[in-house]
Amino acid sequence: MNDAVAQPAARKLRSDPARFEVVKNALTSAAEEMKIVLAKTAYSPLLKVAGDYSCGIFDIDGNMVAQGPDLPIHLGSMPDAVRAVVRAFPDAAPGDVFIHNDPYQGGSHLPDVNVVAPAFLDGRLLGFGCVRAHWPDIGSATPGSYGAVTEIYGEGLRLPPVRLYRGGKPDPAIEAIIFANVRTPTERLGDLRAQVAANWRAEARLQALARKYGTDTLLEIMQEVLDYSETMMRAALSALPDGEAEFEDIFDGDGVIAHGATADETFRVKVKITKRGDTIVADFVGSDPQVAGPMNAPLTVTASGVFCALKMIVDPQSLIPPNSGCWRPVTVSATPGSVVHAQLPAPVVYANHEMSHRVADMVMAAMHQITPRTVMAGSQGTSCVMTFGGTDYRSGERYVSYESVKGGFGARPVKDGINAVASTVSNMMNTPIEIIEMSFPLRVEEYSVIPDSGGAGTWRGGLGVRRVWRVLAKDSHAAVCCERTVTPPFGLEGGLAGAPAQIVLEQPDGSTRRLTSKGGFTAPAGSRVILDAPGSGGFGPPSARDPGRLSEDMIDGYVTQAAARRDYGFVP
Amino acid sequence: MAWRIGIDIGGTFTDVAMVDEASGRIGVAKVLTTPDDFGRGVIDGIRQGLAENAIAASDVSLLSHATTVVTNALLEGKGAKAGFITTRGFRDILELRRSSRSDLYDLFQDGPAVLVPRRWRFEITERIDAQGEIVTPLAEAEIAGLIEAIRDAGLETVAVSFLFSFLNDAHEKILGAALRAALPEIGVFLSCEVLPEIREFERASTTAVCAYVGPLLASYLGRLSSATAALGLPELYVMGSSGGVFDIAEGLRMPAMAVESGPAAGVIAAALAGRQLGLPNLISFDMGGTTAKASVIAGGEVAVTAEYEVGGTGGSGSRWMHGTGHPIRVPVIDLAEVSAGGGSIAWVDPGGSLKVGPRSAGAAPGPASYGRGGTQPTVTDANVVLGYLDRGALLGGALKVDLAGAERAIATGVAEKLGLSVADAAWRIIEIVNANMAEALRIVSIERGYDPREFSLIAFGGAGPVHAAALADELAIPEVIVPPAPGAFSALGLVATDLKRDYSRTLYADLGEIDPARVAGVIAAMETEGRSMLDAARVPAERRGLLRLADVRYRRQAYELTLPLAEGTVTRESLNALATAFHAKHEQTYGHANRAEAVQLVNLRLTAVGRLPGLTLAQRADAAAQRVRQRDIWFASTGFVVCDVHWRDGLMPGTVIAGPAIVEAMDSTTVLPPGWEATVDRLGYIRMKRIAA
Repeated sequence: MNDAVAQPAARKLRSDPARFEVVKNALTSAAEEMKIVLAKTAYSPLLKVAGDYSCGIFDIDGNMVAQGPDLPIHLGSMPDAVRAVVRAFPDAAPGDVFIHNDPYQGGSHLPDVNVVAPAFLDGRLLGFGCVRAHWPDIGSATPGSYGAVTEIYGEGLRLPPVRLYRGGKPDPAIEAIIFANVRTPTERLGDLRAQVAANWRAEARLQALARKYGTDTLLEIMQEVLDYSETMMRAALSALPDGEAEFEDIFDGDGVIAHGATADETFRVKVKITKRGDTIVADFVGSDPQVAGPMNAPLTVTASGVFCALKMIVDPQSLIPPNSGCWRPVTVSATPGSVVHAQLPAPVVYANHEMSHRVADMVMAAMHQITPRTVMAGSQGTSCVMTFGGTDYRSGERYVSYESVKGGFGARPVKDGINAVASTVSNMMNTPIEIIEMSFPLRVEEYSVIPDSGGAGTWRGGLGVRRVWRVLAKDSHAAVCCERTVTPPFGLEGGLAGAPAQIVLEQPDGSTRRLTSKGGFTAPAGSRVILDAPGSGGFGPPSARDPGRLSEDMIDGYVTQAAARRDYGFVP
Repeated sequence: MAWRIGIDIGGTFTDVAMVDEASGRIGVAKVLTTPDDFGRGVIDGIRQGLAENAIAASDVSLLSHATTVVTNALLEGKGAKAGFITTRGFRDILELRRSSRSDLYDLFQDGPAVLVPRRWRFEITERIDAQGEIVTPLAEAEIAGLIEAIRDAGLETVAVSFLFSFLNDAHEKILGAALRAALPEIGVFLSCEVLPEIREFERASTTAVCAYVGPLLASYLGRLSSATAALGLPELYVMGSSGGVFDIAEGLRMPAMAVESGPAAGVIAAALAGRQLGLPNLISFDMGGTTAKASVIAGGEVAVTAEYEVGGTGGSGSRWMHGTGHPIRVPVIDLAEVSAGGGSIAWVDPGGSLKVGPRSAGAAPGPASYGRGGTQPTVTDANVVLGYLDRGALLGGALKVDLAGAERAIATGVAEKLGLSVADAAWRIIEIVNANMAEALRIVSIERGYDPREFSLIAFGGAGPVHAAALADELAIPEVIVPPAPGAFSALGLVATDLKRDYSRTLYADLGEIDPARVAGVIAAMETEGRSMLDAARVPAERRGLLRLADVRYRRQAYELTLPLAEGTVTRESLNALATAFHAKHEQTYGHANRAEAVQLVNLRLTAVGRLPGLTLAQRADAAAQRVRQRDIWFASTGFVVCDVHWRDGLMPGTVIAGPAIVEAMDSTTVLPPGWEATVDRLGYIRMKRIAA
């Protein structure tokens, strides 16, 4: 049936196999339901139409038992975020809801706000729901909270785990603190209520399962779901050859230009993979020390990138439920104080998606040396975040717009890459242009694929995307965060690199200026911001590309004739 | 006599259902589906049905059809050579979609299919802003070049979708008129005519779907209607995805309305049954060979969703993930579909967990018990081993059963791997497929905020009544109903519905601020369209209905709740009442309401209905057909136990049967587990209730 997966002797489950399957699926659908409740009731476009959030069901110790079909970027750190609540509140009671966003307690970056609620039945704790949602603004000096600051204290409101609701009712004092510190508090209140509503749905579903099967059975199956994923993961790892591999990559910079320097300084990250039997180690020793700007990743963020890439490599058919059990055979290590293992008070906001994206690509590249047929070439490697903020000339109200633009998904050993789609750790959606323009004083003037941006290869990389915004009527406080402007997404086995990213500010008089990959800037009224998201790398030498495919690409304008001559040796 | 005829094309059989309007008498004809030319099977089926029931063509009052042409064209990629024209800068929006991938971890997934290849996507200079104002006038000088490009490419249709055309359609209308004048042989679909709603990708996608399937639907319906006209039958109607029928001309204006027309028909039939039985709350459950579908009817109303993806792959009950299909924003009956049917294959994964589906043995090779070469254990095989299905023959004797084959398949595929007996393994297969199907039932009920304990489960499709009681137990649904002719029930739905067409207009405004006259004006415009549709169909005044709905939300939300809007003059009070109703519905659905918050109107909707005279469905009993046999049947609480097996045609009204027992018919088998009791009502419906734990 699933021939790609090794078939060791089937393991015996402790629970009845049918009941196990039913409860396991019910836990996953509880997480999916949380997602629906959140999307349908949230206020900010980032949550309601772009889907920048994850929902999960956790056991009483904070292990993730089930995640909705959300963002792999949150795989590594959500359990730590729930554990921080478990540690801080041993007295959690029915009707409690907790909130926190501290990257140094299992959070990812300050805009990602965790709302955690316990579920009880007849006085017994069943587990927790957690909704991690990206708020478009969490304070700081820059609308959207994406400024290039040098300490986490400058990145916005940092909340340690605190009790937000008691007995089902919000604590007005805590809410007042939160809403005094964020721009557009009305919108945030709607988002927060949506996060709580999603948690209440989780509580109801856990209670229903406990009533139906008994609390003991439910708790036991939750543990067995973790064991099941571990068993599956170990079987999948065993099926790969043993080996060691290294890969090193250069990052654009941290957005902070040092005194006396003219450009943002690049830095290096290094990974060594050791795969033995049914375990794997990803060691980042040798990576550069933490940097001044917010490109520092807490280790859990780095781990999310490792977990996501490994899941794609060893389980391409998605048979293994992604939960905390999966990662028991996986070790992620790094030197504390390095850029992939940040220590307080290093700023972190960019690293959440930029570091985890790149780590996932790096693990793919290293694993290519161990299992060359189940990896892909370098993807976009960035979330290409663009924020705008200010006052809407139409209503006089403050606004903060946050968008993520998707580039190429890497070429595979048997297939082209995919144009303009989220890759590895991300799966956010774009925000419809008509919703952007109705919500914010912006006009989107172009949204299109970029010809020749997919790395040439036997299998061509996915194309990158251009998005152009015009700022209307009033100046906007904008910020960008987009890796891969310096080093492009790599190809494999002779495939060429994809086109790098580029951000250009075009003044109302038509003059243009290239922007640094990260940081805030003023976009004057009437100016345009032109953002090119990177293409992805190709796989295999371009000379071996099927001429029919090349010809189709040229007819459709994905590859120009000039590039075909240059990269593929095309002769008209 | 006046007969209504419904025709439903399935994967294996084309069902033709005939109902006598006066008596409710039902006739069913089943012929093999003819995929090379569906029309041939349809005509064969109609001929056979008319002959067997001695109906003259002139006695037929309504001919109604559920078509798979639209869905199949999309699934198989066999639509028209369609072009796409949009605002300059946005040529690729059909390809860029919403930028999420369909599967998180599948390294080898394909990008989503695009209906219009890039070479046939064109731009024209123009721009309208978020207030509906023209920022850049339409460059009419560019139109000639577009016409030439369309001709050169040999396109059959063109979809046109500009940014913000739902607020201001002037540019689309100008271009549309120019294209229609210059290219009369080419189908032109404008997004402002097809779907004047916000979200540029979803609107463009819906318009492109129409352009892609339009010519195929036109030629199919053209051929079919001339064939039925040649038989002397009345005008052909088509079932739409929201559960009403419309005439061919109307369908060709908006071909996307014809997706999922078969499944919609089943739900409509269930709704009719509910009206007859006086049951406003029903969960419909339709299980065939490869999939099971569930839908909810609450308070007598069929649930309809505004978001749907057609022609995708995968899709296992959860439609939330933006997948590989083509989104259409037309009302579609809210169905949850799971890959669970009689042919679903059971297997053991490396973690030792038993799975059923999503692969199916289909019609070929079929379940092992059909003896046609199938060797993998299926749900049907488990049903045969446990005795739910006859171990000798099915379909009234027409299909011989290979019991040994079924046992062998379950032994090697499941029992030996898990160290279970064959019967235990078979029961676990049933438990899992039931759990998968319960998931579909749960999605449409619990997830939508309905408590299954307040509903009855109506089961149909060939396999539905086999599993219904177990599912009812799973969700604590107190009653199961098996209607007349469950095996051809969807075809019955086609003749039990009304003439129906849905209209919508986007109108953004806070309910507290908008001038009621503006709302009234938009509604009046839609009512004019609806009336002219009903005029064209010659629906008399007393059978007309114009139902107003409004999509509303809190101002900053992105998803609306749809609520009815009062008839009569639109006033400040009626708009306030709408806001109050919204707060209540939001609280009921999501557990909280924010009564201080402004409520925003997003879309106004109008459903124009031409009601057909009521119909009563009945199963006629014949005492002479009474027959009771016995066989060994396995239940979890009893193990194998000898049970009565009744022949349904012989069950007289008032008959009461205590479970465990089986009721068999030509087209379907009903399982009555221990603790359940069945009563045959005066119309021949089997009503099953749990009477003991």
